[in-house]
Amino acid sequence: MDNKTEIKFKQVYKSYFLANGDEIPVLKGIDLEIKKGEFVAIMGESGGGKTTLLNIIGCLHPLSKGKYYLENENIGVVRDDFTLAYIRNKKMGFIFQQFNLFTRLTAIKNVALPALYAGVPGNEREDKARELLKSLGMADRLEYKPTELSGGQQQRVAVCRALMNDPEIILADEPTGALDSKSGLELMEIFKKFKNQGRTVVMVTHTAEAARYADRIIYLRDGQVTDHDYKLESKY
Amino acid sequence: MIWEIIKMSFESLLAKKTRSFLSMLGIIIGVSTVIAVFAIGQGAQNAVDEQFEGLSANSIIVMGIKGKQNIGSTKLKTADAEVLLEEAGHITVAVGSIQGNSTVAHSPESGSFTIVGTTPGFFDVSNLELVSGRIFTEEEINNKAKVAVLGNGAVEALFPNGGEIVGATITIAGKKAEVIGYLEELGTSMGPGKQDDSIIVPNTTAETSYLGTGGFVMLNIQVDSVDNMELATAELISILREEHGLKSGQEDDFKIMDAGSMVGAAQDAASLMSLLLTAIAAITLLVSGIGIMNVMFVTVAERTKEIGISKAIGGKRGDILSQFLLESVVLSMIGGIIGVIIGNSVIFAFRNTELITLAPSLIGIVIGFGFSVLVGVFFGFYPALKASRLDPVDALRSE
Ligand SMILES: Nc1ncnc2c1ncn2[C@@H]1O[C@H](COP(=O)(O)OP(=O)(O)OP(=O)(O)O)[C@@H](O)[C@H]1O
Ligand SMILES: [Mg+2]
Repeated sequence: MDNKTEIKFKQVYKSYFLANGDEIPVLKGIDLEIKKGEFVAIMGESGGGKTTLLNIIGCLHPLSKGKYYLENENIGVVRDDFTLAYIRNKKMGFIFQQFNLFTRLTAIKNVALPALYAGVPGNEREDKARELLKSLGMADRLEYKPTELSGGQQQRVAVCRALMNDPEIILADEPTGALDSKSGLELMEIFKKFKNQGRTVVMVTHTAEAARYADRIIYLRDGQVTDHDYKLESKY
Repeated sequence: MIWEIIKMSFESLLAKKTRSFLSMLGIIIGVSTVIAVFAIGQGAQNAVDEQFEGLSANSIIVMGIKGKQNIGSTKLKTADAEVLLEEAGHITVAVGSIQGNSTVAHSPESGSFTIVGTTPGFFDVSNLELVSGRIFTEEEINNKAKVAVLGNGAVEALFPNGGEIVGATITIAGKKAEVIGYLEELGTSMGPGKQDDSIIVPNTTAETSYLGTGGFVMLNIQVDSVDNMELATAELISILREEHGLKSGQEDDFKIMDAGSMVGAAQDAASLMSLLLTAIAAITLLVSGIGIMNVMFVTVAERTKEIGISKAIGGKRGDILSQFLLESVVLSMIGGIIGVIIGNSVIFAFRNTELITLAPSLIGIVIGFGFSVLVGVFFGFYPALKASRLDPVDALRSE
């Protein structure tokens, strides 16, 4: 593994604003560094700001204060739609907790969509999507719509979609939440494989079982990072 | 890429059939209603045009009416027509007629009819065509012959069982008259009296035997060219004033109406109606526009979430907007086309009923289609435009 820094936060703050103007501070000065090829789990109490943090990494919303470097690029200040769309499309693969699939598109169309936005021709797209779904045991569910799939199957469609454009970084928000423990462990094996391919994986999770697969855990409490070099292995 | 987006738009419209149908419904109703409203306006306009079709712009009608309230006596007589024809320079045709109501009988039928005393030229001027028989001659006028030509309505009333009409004897105001011919049905009526119910007799006979001095005199004048209307009118007035022995300062004892001002008055009425219908159309458009808007806004949350997903997986604003724009355009266009078809079917179905006159109007189609499609596209597209400006997380949050 090379030791290049992929993601770096410097004193990142994030507040939400309610309709009445009240400020809800969620992240209060986050410092963190994630290296290329690392598999990192983010844990912490509910409402502690894990999803908020992951969304900032995924460029799905802006931070309020501080610096966010993506490969030494200060991406936290970028508001340009074209650049952000490019990062979300090509650099990151985001797996949402609620899958967020298009209910009116079939599994294969859902998986192929990021490649459509990347400008890949139709045949090539569908071939790749088919291949990805097959590799996750979904060969006989290509033409099913999300409503016709089980939770675990929808999860796999979401994973395939995240991988469609060969992103360098996989961001997963509680990906095992909707899965039974067996499917959950299968998914962890898949993430482990990504990591071994040299990709970076950042996963929010509640379960220690899943977190065990990670190289290290970043622990969030009250909007700040604690013990982020804590090695899980040492505990077991 | 564009082709892919078009395909996706169609797929998503087909996947949400009920939603698509509801969105289109407002547009369909809007377009078809506006087309129908404009068809009513066009129908009224056509009716006016048709009514004045036979009336050329170079006609003048002189009526035996004195002053505004028709007080005092008039010296206008049918013979004035001949004087005008002889003395005035630009007048090519002048036909005098005297009209009044009288009891007409052909035992056992009888009733009150309009008696028109006139000269043979009247048949030409009024576009009257004979079904059978003949019209009266100059000689019969000079002889004050008791002959009559019946209008179609008069034939139906007096000869309900048919039989020999030409050659039959009827009584007008108690005096005998021989039927020498009868006319084709006119349908529409122009000028005073319903001409279908008229009985046309020589002017001399009407003046001496049937109507006496109680008739209403009218002269139908034609001027050689529209350009000479003013000149001819001035000349006509001075000749008639002299003929009637009016001193300067005395009021005319006749009234002049030219075709231009009559058509103008009818056109004014028709355009007032158009204005009213346009107001109705505007209200219809407003109401259907609100309907379209409501349906479109109902789907905003759903669309906003989809836009959130699209953005999160790397859709650029342009990609997302072109997809939603296309979807709105396709939806609105299909709705608009269905509306045009329904609107025109309604016009076609009611075209020949007596209930209402409808005529297809291109403006109606253009305005109805144009506005509804615009509203549909705007309210389909505007929420998408707003949603595309949100951060993906905020767009995804809307449920
Ligand atoms: N759009 C928002 N407006 C206002 N407050 C928000 C908004 N989104 C999140 N919050 C608040 O921010 C805090 C952190 O939310 P976040 O979703 O990041 O928590 P989390 O750590 O992912 O929790 P969980 O483990 O339950 O998923 C919560 O207290 C939440 O109420
Ligand atoms: Mg969360």
